[in-house]
Amino acid sequence: MMDRAGPGHALLVTALAFLVLALFAGSSAIGYATLDISAALADLIAGRPSLPALVLSELRLPRAILGAAVGFSLGITGAALQGLMRNPLADPGVVGVSGAAALGAVVAFYFGLSATFSLALPLGGLVGAGIATAFLLMLARQGVGTATLILAGVALNSLAGALTALALNLAPSPYAALEVVFWLMGSLSDRSLVHVALALPFMIIGWGLVLSTGRAMDALTLGEDTAASLGFSLSRTRLLVVGGAAAAVGASVAVAGAIGFVGLVVPHLMRPLAGNRPGRLLLLSGLAGAALTLGADIAVRLIPTRPELKLGVVTAIIGAPFFLAMLRRLKVEGE
Amino acid sequence: MILEALQVSVARGTARVVRDLSLKAQPGELLGLIGPNGAGKTSLLRALCGLEPLAAGRVTYGGRTLVEIGRRAGGRTLAYLAQGGRIHWPLRVDQVVALGRLPHGAAEVDAATMRAMEAADVMHLRERTAGSLSGGERARVLLARALAVEAPVLLADEPVAALDPYHQLQTMELVRTLARTGTTVVVVLHDLTLAARFCDRLALMKEGALLAAGPPAQVLTPELVARAYGVTVETGTRDGEPFVLPWRRCDAARSEPIVRP
Amino acid sequence: MKTMPRRRNPGREGGWVLRSRPALRLAVCGIAAFLGATASTAAPKPSRIASLNLCGDELVLRLADPGKVASVTYLARDPRSSNVADLARAVPVNRGLAEEIVPLAPDLVIVGAFTTRTTTAMLQHLGLPILELGVPDSLEEAYAEIRTVAARIGEPARGEAMIAAMQRDFADLPPVPAHPAASIVLRPNGFTAGRGSIVDEILGRAGYENLAARLSTDRLGQLNLEEIVEAQPDLLVINGGGDAPPSLADELLHHPALAPFTADGRTLSLPTRLWTCAGPELAQAAQRLAAKRVSAARIGMAK
Repeated sequence: MMDRAGPGHALLVTALAFLVLALFAGSSAIGYATLDISAALADLIAGRPSLPALVLSELRLPRAILGAAVGFSLGITGAALQGLMRNPLADPGVVGVSGAAALGAVVAFYFGLSATFSLALPLGGLVGAGIATAFLLMLARQGVGTATLILAGVALNSLAGALTALALNLAPSPYAALEVVFWLMGSLSDRSLVHVALALPFMIIGWGLVLSTGRAMDALTLGEDTAASLGFSLSRTRLLVVGGAAAAVGASVAVAGAIGFVGLVVPHLMRPLAGNRPGRLLLLSGLAGAALTLGADIAVRLIPTRPELKLGVVTAIIGAPFFLAMLRRLKVEGE
Repeated sequence: MILEALQVSVARGTARVVRDLSLKAQPGELLGLIGPNGAGKTSLLRALCGLEPLAAGRVTYGGRTLVEIGRRAGGRTLAYLAQGGRIHWPLRVDQVVALGRLPHGAAEVDAATMRAMEAADVMHLRERTAGSLSGGERARVLLARALAVEAPVLLADEPVAALDPYHQLQTMELVRTLARTGTTVVVVLHDLTLAARFCDRLALMKEGALLAAGPPAQVLTPELVARAYGVTVETGTRDGEPFVLPWRRCDAARSEPIVRP
Repeated sequence: MKTMPRRRNPGREGGWVLRSRPALRLAVCGIAAFLGATASTAAPKPSRIASLNLCGDELVLRLADPGKVASVTYLARDPRSSNVADLARAVPVNRGLAEEIVPLAPDLVIVGAFTTRTTTAMLQHLGLPILELGVPDSLEEAYAEIRTVAARIGEPARGEAMIAAMQRDFADLPPVPAHPAASIVLRPNGFTAGRGSIVDEILGRAGYENLAARLSTDRLGQLNLEEIVEAQPDLLVINGGGDAPPSLADELLHHPALAPFTADGRTLSLPTRLWTCAGPELAQAAQRLAAKRVSAARIGMAK
């Protein structure tokens, strides 16, 4: 008697993957210049350096790739943090991981570190995210209630935001202080293949680390002791999640700024489809996160504001009411 | 598989919650771990599972420590049922029980899962959500989860505490059958009658040390019970099985009842 | 117009001065009134000029006697953003705060249209003579501004000399062709020069058409990289800080999508300071643009 959800799960993953691909194509097709996509694609494949090929390869593609990759990172990290902390309100933005990553990236970028050593940028984000995640896990060791977790997130976000603003004030460039909006609200506009090359390897490593904890997440449904008795190493699982979240979120924030609520909304929507199983939820959340972020980025370009609306604005408009609704429905219990 | 604790000590801070304790559990017999609150029963059980670091001594499964067996194989060697367990996500009951199959591979609802659900009498609950269960139902589902591991050793911490009398008896019959069919079973109990009726051997703990170990008749004597629990007992037999009823609180040192006006 | 960085707590320093130093207010008002009275009768030149605006700094340092300049902004000393960095070294600097200006008891304070409103309001409240500079949108307006400042500081002749030199330089530019080449000015953050701005006019004098004025719908003229690449201008003027410290605004100017322009020699890097303020540098900007156009045309003919 096989688990009935088995083939259904594979089907769901495939369907989501197709959705992501469709949105990826849509994202590449939408922009500010009139572009004949098929001609551009033909030129690109043939290696002809024509104008449409340039716009497609240097402007549209990096944006679409990053949209999918950042969304995947945020979705999968949200699911992983929720599985590890056994709390459905954990999300890299809510609990302060994204804010800390932004601080790390800001320090690396504005003080010239990434000018001398380009990997300093994603590494800065990684270090910031890692410190925040490790701190949260220290809190979560004894089982922390929802209220404590959210308060910890508020504290981390406040601290990280304040230090980020401070760093931007002290930075030598006159534009720095104004660019805080990018770091706090996120954006994918005018990202280049350089950004993709910088961030994608770290993100992929992070995804791998997180996906490897699937079975341990399932075991953690029963609590830490039972999970340990089932043969899972809690310290190893924590390390994988911290490392994976730090790499994926750190690199994402380093190139796209802090985009919030994707890691909150997406696991919540996918959880019933995953049969409430935290292990299955990881991949589903990643794909759904990619879809949501690509969709939001498409919306950002269709809404006719100048300058372009920040991506985090759209995700916050969707996500913050969602968050409030979840708070109301969940019993806020102290453990 | 023989589970053996050799001069085991467990510390919490500066206090020793288990002191120099030696114990052996064999397949084919149900070992009951009894003693008053704070005697160290849970700490000992957790130490046996490798969840508490040992301040001294060794714990061996079939002659090898858990470290030697390895983490993954260890998950297949023992099944641990914690006290008052929680289920954090609203999974279906059969999925919860299937988590017990994780040491063997994927958490699939397979034949072993079904057997475990039958044995714990939760088959009729299998499509319910974990969040909708009553306390007793949840306790039985978690027991089924532990059974699903089909490990040679089962360590259960107060498995019947939340259950109604019907299910208390059913569970004790189940673990006894399990023991008889070759599993090494250690259960922590508070109910002295259940301990006397179903366990083949008892280990009585007090303040971290082993007060007595042996067949129930040898351990559940009025003197020992008074020393350990501070109560007098009324004992007897019915259909050839003993019952042990705590009757009055007493002065432990002198085994005399505290007389109330 | 280069302006002072905005204060984060606009009301704070104002509140401090208002609340706790009535004596100082009185003293400053007294000095200012005395000076104002003497100025109105004999119109002497101001002898303690403070500037809270970079363009004001430049004009003041060039047109006034060195001993008469009491304070300029710290931006004036930065060679990346100021045309008068060496002149500014001998003069005390301020960060655009009323608190720094008031103790100097200046008899003229030059502010810009974008100087913090509260600072300007505070200085007016204290009765200090203020000259507010606008943002010139054309060469004529730039000349008018130079004249205004020169007159106010009592050196009208020097102002006229500066204007005359600029007019000569503009007249010496190569003639504007019948079909001007298309150009786009790219500034940090994707801003360009919109229509009707002074940059627009300078491009025209140098023989270029400002594509952004035609393409963009808003006055600020913010263009997207895609639009810029699609428009394929003959010249892309990169208006950045050169060796500016890292910022996202600046990063945009080095986006790989703009690489073909550099490869073809269709870019020209112009420091922003050349056409930020009214002054001789405007002519310099026009000269560089014209030279680029002429050399590009020569290369084009040679191909």
